[in-house]
Amino acid sequence: MRFRDAAAAVAAALAMSGASVYAAANQVKAEILARLQQAAPGVAPADYALGSAAFDAELRAALQEKAGESAAVIEAGKKVWTRKFRNGRTLAACFPNGGRRIAATYPQYDSRLKRVVTLEMAVNQCLKANGEPLFEMAEPQTMGAAIAYLRSLSDAQKAAVRVSAAAEERFEEGRRLYFTRMGQRNFACASCHVQSPGRRYTEQVLSPAIGQATHWPIIRGGRAITLQARIRECLEIMGAAPFPAGSEELNNIEYFLAYLSNGLPLRANVVRPER
Amino acid sequence: MRPGLRFAAAAALTALPALAQEPRALDLFVRPDKGHCIACHQLPQGVGPTTRADVGPRLEGARMRELGRDALKEIIDDPTRRNPDTVMPPFGRHRILEAREIDALGAFLHALP
Repeated sequence: MRFRDAAAAVAAALAMSGASVYAAANQVKAEILARLQQAAPGVAPADYALGSAAFDAELRAALQEKAGESAAVIEAGKKVWTRKFRNGRTLAACFPNGGRRIAATYPQYDSRLKRVVTLEMAVNQCLKANGEPLFEMAEPQTMGAAIAYLRSLSDAQKAAVRVSAAAEERFEEGRRLYFTRMGQRNFACASCHVQSPGRRYTEQVLSPAIGQATHWPIIRGGRAITLQARIRECLEIMGAAPFPAGSEELNNIEYFLAYLSNGLPLRANVVRPER
Repeated sequence: MRPGLRFAAAAALTALPALAQEPRALDLFVRPDKGHCIACHQLPQGVGPTTRADVGPRLEGARMRELGRDALKEIIDDPTRRNPDTVMPPFGRHRILEAREIDALGAFLHALP
């Protein structure tokens, strides 16, 4: 199959993947995919899972070399995951199969709570249910490490986030925020990640919106940085007051991004250069 | 600004006496708390720090003079007036830069080689 045919086939599969009953979500994804392909036609959609590294062979090679640096964080996360609570239970006991192969379906819409539940929230729900102190949502040593380990248990699983009709508003709110210009610099997330993927802002290659949710947390300077922590950094660059980690706003943006990544393989704990 | 960038900016101004007439302009161009234009645009070789940024077009003197000083200032003030879809910040409208700083940047761009 010629590259263009192959890319079109992957693009169609990406656009249609996922168990959505919300047809508009697929339409949104197809439109974003078309814009990304127009902005960076040389990159196959399947490579979007690599994030910014999809556009930069030099970065890809450098990251490959440093891949081992994630091991210590994952090991620390395993300790957090298996540490016994005062009641003798563990975080692992709160999740099906000890947390194996569950990350691909997160975030999820909880119809009882009427809100999006991220993996981080699910971890804190477990702590709360067991009378344990909650973790700070984006704190690298506790929540970050736990999420690093938990997500490592789903490596290579394909993202499969569901947007039900009841969750339509949350997805739409995430989309709206992603495309809304904010802050003193007047950037939207989409200014960089839909309009300018593959281009360099300072020395950083800008990642595409599709695939952006597949490789979290990233490991930077030996610390696990969650997707929401990274979005907060972007908001600061935009000159906007960052939404708190775990806020409705960031949960909805994460939900939107995770849906866009449906069909792409998860690969947690990729190492990124220190700033 | 990183020490390397500051040094490169100072060195560039020393090397180009014409641009040194407005020493603040390159500073405004590179400082993250000011224009930070360097985050998106590349300058002609020897004028300022060498970067690979390419969110915006490379800034060449001939093109800048084709646009003219007034248009350059207008674009820096609020580029969305000409192109609503641009990702460039409205430096004047959002009060990132003062009018005199926009004047200085406009003159700097107009004088690029």
